[in-house]
Amino acid sequence: MKKENLPATLPWIAIVAIIAALPLITSSSYVIGTMCFIAIYGALAVGMGLLLEMAGIFSLAHPTFFGLGSYSGAVLAVKGIAPPWAGTIVGTLFVTALSYVIGAPLLRLRGFYLACATFGLLVIVEIALGQLGTITGGHEGLVGIPPLSIAGFVFEKDVHYYYLSWAFCFGQLWFLSNVMGGRVGRAIRSFRDSELASKSMGVNIPRCKLQIFMLTAALASVGGSIYCFYLRFTQPGIFGFPLLVDLVTMIIIGGGTTIYGPLIGSFVITWLRELIHGYLGNILPRMTAEVDAIFFGVLIIVILIFMPGGITGWIDQFAAWVKKKIAGSRQVTA
Amino acid sequence: MADETILEVTGLSKHFGGIKALNEVSLTLEKGSIVSMIGPNGAGKTTFVNAITGVHCPDEGSAHFEGRDVAGLPPHSIAALGIGRTFQLEELFSSMTVLENAMVGCHTRSHKGMFATGFSLPRARREEQTIMEEALENLGLVGLREKALSPIKKLPLGERKLVGIARALGMKPKLLMLDEPAGGLAAHEIDELVHLIYDLAGKKITIFVIEHNMPFVMGLSQRIIVLNEGYKIAEGPPDEIKANNQVIKAYLGEEVS
Repeated sequence: MKKENLPATLPWIAIVAIIAALPLITSSSYVIGTMCFIAIYGALAVGMGLLLEMAGIFSLAHPTFFGLGSYSGAVLAVKGIAPPWAGTIVGTLFVTALSYVIGAPLLRLRGFYLACATFGLLVIVEIALGQLGTITGGHEGLVGIPPLSIAGFVFEKDVHYYYLSWAFCFGQLWFLSNVMGGRVGRAIRSFRDSELASKSMGVNIPRCKLQIFMLTAALASVGGSIYCFYLRFTQPGIFGFPLLVDLVTMIIIGGGTTIYGPLIGSFVITWLRELIHGYLGNILPRMTAEVDAIFFGVLIIVILIFMPGGITGWIDQFAAWVKKKIAGSRQVTA
Repeated sequence: MADETILEVTGLSKHFGGIKALNEVSLTLEKGSIVSMIGPNGAGKTTFVNAITGVHCPDEGSAHFEGRDVAGLPPHSIAALGIGRTFQLEELFSSMTVLENAMVGCHTRSHKGMFATGFSLPRARREEQTIMEEALENLGLVGLREKALSPIKKLPLGERKLVGIARALGMKPKLLMLDEPAGGLAAHEIDELVHLIYDLAGKKITIFVIEHNMPFVMGLSQRIIVLNEGYKIAEGPPDEIKANNQVIKAYLGEEVS
């Protein structure tokens, strides 16, 4: 069994090695910073994609959990109540508890209705964060957030956050793929296929849904905390509708049928956006945001029509096609 | 031995709006026996299985499984008590392999949660190994061990039905309810199915079969229950049922005079 797994892990070892070596090759804070955001958004999109595509839970609450994780850590640190690392833990516990309170009643809803309810949550939280000016800094945002420090080590430079966010991202991928490959993950995939058979085999579906919902909410919260300690700034608008659209775009383009698909989506979209902005900044300085929106809108439609499985789905298809060709040519030669 | 009751159903009723799908159905199943339920389309056979396994909550009546009333319990609790089932329309997990399907069947008898599996702790890996071995054993029992790694979609109908049985066996059921296991099978496949069912009965699993295929039911069952329009109209050994006028009427209709 171990030996069979080796070829499958080889690409991953290569990817981790490349990510680890990147700061040695380039010291550009632009590249390192962008890669940092790719890891943070990628991790968030991975959690949300898992809910949407693997568990069939159409929840749009992920930007909210990300934002609340970010704000809890930041507020506690700014007010001097708890150091950033403790704030991260408190924030995660708070978001996990909140996801239980929200998930227990809302996860009974299906599909579109669940999407509506969780979207409502997103709007409410964004407004509440803006209005609670004395605590959250209001619409202008919260400034003066101290950097993260763990056991005397202060995360000051971009490269520190680069390693932190990628370690979190890969750690989460490893954890989630273990979960999905194991007993609970099988149960989750089973009720996506047939709820009737799943519950008749003894799967407690409401409990499983709540568990995976809370787990991904907690991970989103940790990501949010890393995000705010890296930016040293946070604002309600960051966690609203635009982030939701970005995440959905990452999931669609990367492909949600694999756990790591949305991370690839995050990589592709973030760099594409940087490219567009780089070009358009010179030609159409005032229209950048609009052209950006139109471009990604068209891209989503094209992807949905021509590669509905996203990039990872397309890679799978391509690999199967190559295999078939090889097998075919072997038959001909034999 | 033969007198030991495993399931005792009394006055079980289920209504869907104005339609009375089940009307005060009562029956008992002895441990280790093979009992069939027949009846024309729409007689309420699948509704009966659904009511026992918790998919539908019965409106009236009780179902005592090993002395405990299971009527109205959620399906996953009933499954954990040891009532396994298969489905008329297969209801397999189509995105998974044959082995994974059989492994989901072992869900109630394994316990490791998300954190143990997420961190890939040794105890979670050991449990996973045990589940896999049991699932393979169950697939071996139905003769599909070599196909363990193929995706469900690639199997022909007959084999998919067998996967459903292997999956239910993962629960180590004391009572196994098979909903039209022979539907759509070829003659030689039906013969194999009969052998399999005898094997399972030999393992002290009580078998309850819903079926349309008369030769199959008559050859297999020790006792037959006939359902028509939600009422139990007859019960007895195969020979008696064959000669029962009410049963014949239910199937063929009355002579027009």
